[in-house]
Amino acid sequence: MTLLDTKAGRLWRIFGTGLVFVLFGLGALVLSLTQFPVLRLFSTNADTARPRIQHAMQRTFRLYVEMMRWLGLLTYEIDGLDRLNVPGRLVVANHPTLIDVVFLVSFMRQVDCIVKQGLWRNPFLRWPVLWASYIANSSGEALIEDCARSLGRGHSLLVFPEGTRSIPGQPLRMHRGAAHIALAAQADILPVKIFCTEPMLTKGYPWHRVPQRRPHFRIVVGAPLPPSAYIREGEAAAVAARRLTRFFQEYFADTVIVTAACVDEPHIRAAA
Amino acid sequence: MKTREDIFNHLRTLLVELFELDPGQITLDANLYQDLDIDSIDAVDLILKLKEYTGQKIQPQAFKHVRTVRDVVDAVEALLTRPTAA
Repeated sequence: MTLLDTKAGRLWRIFGTGLVFVLFGLGALVLSLTQFPVLRLFSTNADTARPRIQHAMQRTFRLYVEMMRWLGLLTYEIDGLDRLNVPGRLVVANHPTLIDVVFLVSFMRQVDCIVKQGLWRNPFLRWPVLWASYIANSSGEALIEDCARSLGRGHSLLVFPEGTRSIPGQPLRMHRGAAHIALAAQADILPVKIFCTEPMLTKGYPWHRVPQRRPHFRIVVGAPLPPSAYIREGEAAAVAARRLTRFFQEYFADTVIVTAACVDEPHIRAAA
Repeated sequence: MKTREDIFNHLRTLLVELFELDPGQITLDANLYQDLDIDSIDAVDLILKLKEYTGQKIQPQAFKHVRTVRDVVDAVEALLTRPTAA
């Protein structure tokens, strides 16, 4: 119990969360108009721009993570950090909160991400996502091909097999896309568990509904596993993808946020 | 000439083989996405197999509105009886 867990502390965390949201928006706007275009301008082509822009993304997200910590909004720890920076891996994580991607990108010098197709129509963000060579979440098959191509080039790629944030207190629902990508690319899978002690920026919670206590994030990078372990001779790819997805489902099952709050709040359960 | 019965039986075999489904789950009214947990990537595999079965070119649009097993049987039957329409 710290001062940040008191009533006044909670008010401070509401203010801090709002502040970080505003700074995040402003930061995206400013960087899109300054640092990113400069980096792109001084790169000969898209392939040389990509690592520079991604590294800039890492530093920016690192700053946001540290800012959230300085402001007392959260605490965090990470196990197995060095494993995150081996290239060519499919990083598969559970997705409890809105800031999971901020955390993971902040730990990885280079990583390709899948982002909403709509961002390519956003006047400010379309250029950064293009220059960073991020992948648009197009429909099933095309997306898997794009992702497999990225891994084939030796890039690491981050995916959340749930496709959206988990619902607190509910079992995880994994889609099979991540498994299909791993099988198509024959890339090693790096499973990353994200534990968060309190529902903060989770699905069904508006940003200002900060938890009673300051949340602690624990990020655990698992051991890499080859997808070949899930393939059997003469078997349809769809069956291997099902087996691998079942593995993810079991592997990540203990990351579900269960607190009294999500039992007491029927609207969150109804969102399921 | 293949009857609807033949088409359904073949489809059931395909679904069991491709997606590890229990034959008992596969009824005409079963919804592919909700009841049988088939996703868009599976649908592509299934269409490929149906292409082999019918010997017809299949336009993805022909399966766009397919929701249940019955819809698939209907679509395959339509392909087999009106080849020019494909």
